[in-house]
Amino acid sequence: MKGQLRAELLKQRTTRTILGLFAAMLGLVLLAVLLHSFGLPADALGDASRQLMVLGRGEFLGALFAALLGALSVTSEIRHGTIRPTFLATPQRARVVAAKVSMGVLIGAGFGLVAGAVATIVGAAALQERGIDVQLDAGDYALLVAGATGAAALWAAIGVGIGALVRHQVPTMIGLCAWLLFVEGLLADSTGGLGDVARFLPGSAAAAISGQGPDTLLAPALGLVLLVAYAATAAVAGAIATNRRDVE
Amino acid sequence: MTRHIEDDALAIGSASDATAAITVRSLTKRFGEVVAVDDLTFSLRKGAVTGFLGPNGAGKTTTLRLLLGLAEPTVGEALVFGRRYRDLERPASRIGAVLESNDFHPGRSGRDHLRALALAADIPPGRVDEALELVELASAARRRVRTYSLGMRQRLGLAAALLGDPELLVLDEPANGLDPAGVHWLRRFLRRFAEQGGTALVSSHMLAEAALTVDDVVIIDRGRRIASGRLDELTERGRTTLEELFLALTGATP
Repeated sequence: MKGQLRAELLKQRTTRTILGLFAAMLGLVLLAVLLHSFGLPADALGDASRQLMVLGRGEFLGALFAALLGALSVTSEIRHGTIRPTFLATPQRARVVAAKVSMGVLIGAGFGLVAGAVATIVGAAALQERGIDVQLDAGDYALLVAGATGAAALWAAIGVGIGALVRHQVPTMIGLCAWLLFVEGLLADSTGGLGDVARFLPGSAAAAISGQGPDTLLAPALGLVLLVAYAATAAVAGAIATNRRDVE
Repeated sequence: MTRHIEDDALAIGSASDATAAITVRSLTKRFGEVVAVDDLTFSLRKGAVTGFLGPNGAGKTTTLRLLLGLAEPTVGEALVFGRRYRDLERPASRIGAVLESNDFHPGRSGRDHLRALALAADIPPGRVDEALELVELASAARRRVRTYSLGMRQRLGLAAALLGDPELLVLDEPANGLDPAGVHWLRRFLRRFAEQGGTALVSSHMLAEAALTVDDVVIIDRGRRIASGRLDELTERGRTTLEELFLALTGATP
């Protein structure tokens, strides 16, 4: 397994994909945080829960891009055909999926750490710059960054699992983006959505870990447990499917 | 003639069964209604280059995928050194295989492609540069694969197969798209590999080229074996050509 993990990390280092994802994530974090902190009316940013939501953009975008990175680690190999030499080197395919999950958790955590830290620092500074009283304390900041790290690490594992299940690159990418950007939001909508049940969806669980919704979301620890369960389910399902299905 | 060929094939199959590099037994693969491989049986003599011949769509690639654990047989078995490929612990150190000529990430260098495979297959990293030297690709190794010609890609694939210093090579249409110099290079390479005791199974539909390279042949059509044995015996020591034999057997002659 160690060799497979080192191989997966090397694969990430030796193309420009990871740099592109990282740059896009960082750019979007800055854009989202700055737009929200400077664009929203000051009285809409006064209370702690709104401020948490703005600074929580780091967690959201970290998780999204970590999921894309995880999924790409599978679908890109299928698309370019490198999955064949990969499986010839390691015919125990579950080991390959496990290595990709481990790689995704490590790099995803890095993505989440950077996204969470940048969003928290830039967001808090921007709010202060506007003269808005920031009502968050050191504990909130720590949870925002740590939560973003954990959420992105686990969403990377979900991405690997979904990539292994769907296999085709474009549907996988669109599916992950659509889920996190639209579908969960629609389901969480108070009118016509799932109502309270939406708290248990994987995107909401990720937001809960960073403490974004003390009144609406699950407690951080519960969100973490739930997201671990989602990640484990996706990874195991991806490994089983990869083991069973023929390789083109 | 058919009877003579069948007898020959059986003789080779039973003689080498215990130590055969490859044993394919009653192998069948169905994709829905389509039978891609149909009750195929053959084995491979060690130290020989065997041509795996058949028209396009005969089931050659499917057979190789079954052999290499990339697909599961519907019926029967395909064994490498007496075991399923997926059950081998370090398969790359005994078997090198190339299924497609372009299984690379275009943005990764040839050398990095091999480094990742060496890590995964538990092969010493020093083998990467050795394999690149073997296929005469060292000078281009640090360039991105997107800049490689088809011939260079074929050779990079071969380098990946050679990483583990294998005793068996399985190559699917390795001469496809090669220029005459590339084909010549490949032939010399395979001959040298066999002279050093290596065993190779090389699929091809280019018969004239195969006739120059291989010792034995397994010919299949519509998923079934229609002939196998030593090339010189099948062609009656040059009285008929491999092409004539192939066309007669596959029913393609008018």
